[in-house]
This record gives sequence, C-alpha cells and structure tokens, in this order.
Amino acid sequence: MNSNIPVLKVENLKKSYSGRIILDGVNLEVDKGETKVILGPSGVGKSTLLRCINMLTLPDSGKIWLEGVELTNPNTDINKMRQKIGFVFQDFNLFHHLTVLKNVTIGLTKVKKIPEEEAIKIAASALEKVHIPNTLWNKYPAQISGGEKQRVAIARALAMKPSIMLYDEPTSALDPQLVGEVLQVIKELSTAGMTSLIVTHELHFALEVANELLFIYNGKIVEQGPPEEVFANPKHDMVKKYIASIYSRKG
Amino acid sequence: MRCAEIFGLGLLGSYLPYMLEGAIWTFALVGGGLTLGFAMGVPFAILRVYGGKGAKAAIDAYVWVYRSIPLIVLLFLYYWGIFPVILGVKLSAMATSILALGTRDAAYETMIFRAALESIDPGQMLAARSLGMTRWQAVRTIVLPQALRIAIPGWTNQYAIMLKDSSICFALGVLEILTRTRYVTISIGSYFIPYLIAGILFIILTYGGTKVFNIVYEKVQIPGLVGGK
Repeated sequence: MNSNIPVLKVENLKKSYSGRIILDGVNLEVDKGETKVILGPSGVGKSTLLRCINMLTLPDSGKIWLEGVELTNPNTDINKMRQKIGFVFQDFNLFHHLTVLKNVTIGLTKVKKIPEEEAIKIAASALEKVHIPNTLWNKYPAQISGGEKQRVAIARALAMKPSIMLYDEPTSALDPQLVGEVLQVIKELSTAGMTSLIVTHELHFALEVANELLFIYNGKIVEQGPPEEVFANPKHDMVKKYIASIYSRKG
Repeated sequence: MRCAEIFGLGLLGSYLPYMLEGAIWTFALVGGGLTLGFAMGVPFAILRVYGGKGAKAAIDAYVWVYRSIPLIVLLFLYYWGIFPVILGVKLSAMATSILALGTRDAAYETMIFRAALESIDPGQMLAARSLGMTRWQAVRTIVLPQALRIAIPGWTNQYAIMLKDSSICFALGVLEILTRTRYVTISIGSYFIPYLIAGILFIILTYGGTKVFNIVYEKVQIPGLVGGK
C-alpha cells in the first residue's frame, strides 16, 4: 500500500434530515497512526459524521475513502470495508445474548470466517489490551459494569484488526467514576499507534490524546489544528466560547 | 349403585383407554399445527419486518385473511374445496386438520414474532453491521436468537389456545378427544362423566404443555434480556 495516501479521507460530505442541514461540506483526513478528536456543541452533527464514515448513515453527497478505496462508490463491497472500520458506540451496543468472549469472537467467526480456536486467541489478546480479566469472559453484558461494557465493545472492534477506530462519544453514557478507565484504554491504543477518530466532550482527554482537534459548527469544520495551538489562539467565536465555557465549568 | 348406573361409572374401564388415546391424537394435531405455524410464522415475520414493500403487503394480506376466517370454515374449505377440487389432492381428515390449524396459527405467530423482532434495540443491528455483517447475517446471528427467546411466552399462549381449538376437528371426524367423547356418550347413553373426563384431559394437557414451555423459557433465558434475572 502506498504510505502517502491517508487512512481516511472525507471530501465535501453533506447530509440533511428532512430539510435540516446536519453536515454541510465536511473535509478531513486522518493519516496512519494519527489520532484526531472532533469537538463541538451537542447536536451539530458530530455523531452523524462518524456514522456516515462507515456508511451506517448514508450521506447525501460527498466522497469517503478508506486506504484509497472509495466507500461512497456503490460498487464497493461496504460489508467488506466495514470490517476495517472499528466503531465504538456511545451506548456500547454489546450483543445482549452473547457472553463477553462471544461478543468479541462473533465478528471473527461469522464475518471473517476464522476458526473458533484461533478466534478465541485473537479475542483474548484484544480483551487483554482493554484490561478485561478472563474471569469476566463468560459473563453476559448485563452482568458487568458500564466501563467494562465499553471496554469489551472496544475489544470487539479491535479484534477485527481495523485500519481505523471511530469512537462516538464513548464515555457519554457512563457514570463519572467509570469514565477514566475507558479513556485510559483509548489513550493506550492511540499511543500504541492505532489510527483513531474520536468524538468526545472530554476536553482534557482530547488535549492529551489528539494530534489534531477539529471543531464542528453548523455542519462544517470551523477550526482545526494541534491542541496547544487551538487553545492558545482560538479564532472562531464558537471555539472561543466553547473553550471559555469549559474553563468556567472547571471553576 | 344407582348413582353409578346413572352416570355410567361402571363402564368407565371400558371407554377410558379409548378416550386417553384421543389425547394422543389431540396432541398430534397441536404438535403438527404449532410446528407448521412456527415454520411459516418465523420467516413471515422476518419478511414483514425486513422485507420489501411487496413482501410486507403479501404478509399483511395473509394475516388478515387467516385471522378473519373461523377455523371450522377453514377446515371445510380445505377438506371439500381447496385440496380436493382446486389442487386435486386427496388429504386425510387428520392432515387437513393439521394444515388448517397450522396455516391459521402462522398468521398469529407472524404477529407475535414480528412484535418480538421489533422489540430488539436497533443498536444491535447497527453494531452487527459495523462489524461487517450483511443484513441477513445480522438478523440470523444477532436479532433472531434474542427475538426467539422473547417470543416464547407468546407461543405458550398459542399452544394453550390451539389445544382447545383442535377440538373443532371433530367436525371432520378426526379421532381426537372430543370426537371420541361423543362416540362414548352415544354408545353408553350418558353424558356427564365422559365430558367431565374430556374436560380433565384438556386441563392436564394445557397444564403439562405450558409447564414445558415455561421450563424451556427459563432454560434459554439470558441475564438482561426480557424476563431474565
């Protein structure tokens, strides 16, 4: 593969729901090993953007490439491409009827057709990366904590050996005391070189983990750059307000 | 002694085995009917929820027709019309009865199972698709196993209903409980005890069958799914 092409490229992406414009021409690129964090007020289309990227929500127009393959091309086998896009949902969406271990192996056995035994090995390694001890492997999702659920969900995506991980507000549905363990795992994965695109409201985390921050407002990316730069010298009014509001909240 | 004569108790030993054998026939009717209803209802429900416009309309039409026709009319239609005349197949009263019970049950099971499928959190489908599963793979491996568990109480109900509905098959002379009870009453000239026994047989079959369904429901239960602990 040509190392010059970005892992993810989004060009002029547009999406509206019943006349209301959500995404109004978004452009972005994520290179191999990079972690980019998308920030912005609620309801500006951050989640819609992530869902458009793996085509769970179909964009109205614009183009998306994963490692040079155009996802928005109707001839592309989207099921095949989705295997390479790890997606972590706000509300985990673990499969309720499957144990922790099965949640992680099912994509391997059913989608990648990997034999059960080998799938368990891969799953074990993924679960280890998210610090889920094997005492929890045979539990059902309802029997573990929210933080554990989200870490299992990360392992489920990770086991597929994706080219990029997309996190859609991964800690928004968690009790405050469980947020840390999930952010820690995401940070470790990013540091280890996992290409990631993260939507979050955890600003401190964003500052620590991001190579670049992207601010979305009115369906467009209004400001982007390395965290230090953006914070030191915000240009857009929304970004100034957003940062000010965070600081005032911290007291 | 007089009392025993009036109620025909003295003859009990001679007809009880005959009536008990009727329970086997009743059970066969219900077993066959429920199996057919399940085999048709599950795919119908899947088509109703995930299929195209045409499939949805066809399933709705089927459900509408089969929920509208009284079972006895359906039995006679099948037995004297649709199978011998239109399709040119000679079917036994038993086979016709199972087909009538089953095709009618399919309409109700479609609706039971449709509700179960629609009760599954849409996030389950999203997560499955995000792993690269096709729509059908996601239905089969993620949605279906959850919906089937949720639908068990609904099927328990269908069993209890069909058990009693199956007595209508006496109209075709199927040798189930009611038909045999009638033969007994005619031959001994007494009604009360044979019908009492028929009632008790239905009570036992209802109790035993629903018990089995409930045990299965508990066995396949998963923590966090509806009804799970």
